[in-house]
This record gives sequence, C-alpha cells and structure tokens, in this order.
Amino acid sequence: MTLTASFSKPLLPTLWLTACLLLSLGSAQADTLQGDPERGREVAFTCMGCHGIPHYKNVYPSYSVPRIAGQTEGYIASALHAYRDGQRRHRTMVAQAHVLSDQEIQDVAAFFANMKEDDDT
Amino acid sequence: MMRSSGFISFVVLRVAVVALLALMALNAQAQSAASAERGLALSAQLGCVGCHGEDGNLVLADDYPKLGGQHYDYLVVALQAYRSGDRDHAIMSGFARDLTDQQIQDLSAWYAGQSGLIEWDAQPPRRFRRGRGGRTD
Repeated sequence: MTLTASFSKPLLPTLWLTACLLLSLGSAQADTLQGDPERGREVAFTCMGCHGIPHYKNVYPSYSVPRIAGQTEGYIASALHAYRDGQRRHRTMVAQAHVLSDQEIQDVAAFFANMKEDDDT
Repeated sequence: MMRSSGFISFVVLRVAVVALLALMALNAQAQSAASAERGLALSAQLGCVGCHGEDGNLVLADDYPKLGGQHYDYLVVALQAYRSGDRDHAIMSGFARDLTDQQIQDLSAWYAGQSGLIEWDAQPPRRFRRGRGGRTD
C-alpha cells in the first residue's frame, strides 16, 4: 500500500496546498533582511539597460525580457539568489547577480516591488 | 545494374524527404494559435489558480511571482524551462513537466492578457506605462 493510497482523493489537493505553504514558509524565514527601496534605486541603475527599455528583447533565443516593475519582492529576491547561486543560468543575469550582496538583492527587490504605474522615478 | 539500383534509392530518398516535409507541415497546422480562452480553462483545470489566482495577481506567499501582464513570450520561455528541468523548482517543475507546447502557449496567452505588472520605461518624460501583455512581436 502506498502512502498516497491511504489518503482519500479529496484530501490530496489540501495536502498539496499544505506542502506549498510549508515550502514558502521555509524560504520566507530565510529572508530576515529588510529591503530598502531607496538604496535599491541605486542598485537598479544597471537593470534599466534591459528591463527599463519597453519591449526589449533577449537575443539567442529571442524573447522579451520580463516585466519586473510591480513584481513581488520575495520573487525578485529568490530569482536573483538563484542566478547568483547558479540554479538559473541566464548569462547576463548570472553576471549581474554575482556582484550583489544579500542586502543589495533585498534592496533592489524592494525597489521594483514598490514601483507604481505613475511613479516619476 | 548498379546504376539503376542507385537511381532507385535516390528516388526513394527523395520521396521520403518530401513525405517528411509534408508531415511536418501537417503537424505545424495541427497546433493552433495560442488561445487565452483555453488558457483560462486550463489555469483552473491544472490548478495554476490555486497559487497565482485567476488573473495572475494573487500572491499566496511573498516569493510567488505575479503573472498578470507579464510578456507572453517570457511566460512561454519560463514554462518551457520548468518543463525541461533547466529551471528546477519544488512546485513548478512538477506542474510543468507534462505540459504540451499548446498548453504552454494557451496559459501564457491568458496570463499575459491580464493587467498587473508594469512596463518600466526608464526614458523620460513618461517613465511608467501600464503593462498589458499579449503578443508583442
């Protein structure tokens, strides 16, 4: 008898959700640093070369660079950590993330997360 | 004798190449254009909405991304990366593993068409515009 067989079918989605929440709880606890959007503004200067040009394309392969303004702080931080640690392999992003400290990652993430549509920044 | 068998294999090869090309063309036709409508249905059926919400702006946990208004072609690339294992994620890898190209395009079309993320325009004078996805190329 397998583990999943011992649970009734309607229980499975609940288990999934619990697993998801536990996983995100774990990563949230790892981030104890507070991001400062004002410091992040300075860190973000180099980001604008690609992410600050509307509809800018990545080349080889060609696709739009992602929109990051208004994105969640935690997701930007986790993506930057993944580039820095080699779990994501985009060359430009790996190079960019490689020079960032944990604090700078949190700051730049806070900057993008706090962007509003009509900010004149 | 040698020459005629060589000729026959040449003809066979040409027929095979033409047949292969015809099959490829049929296959390309079988896959239709991305449909946001099908993407909406899929997002509920596959469970995307549980974490990302119907419009891609639900944030169940802080490190989950917003998808609403993201570029269509970026969403396609991201889902393909989760599917291939190029991006490894405890939750997304499992969800993306069995997606077809068509499903990836449909889901991406749906979430790209919602509002949410902002297009960052670092050039003056108007620096921010509402990000509305859809196909831009």
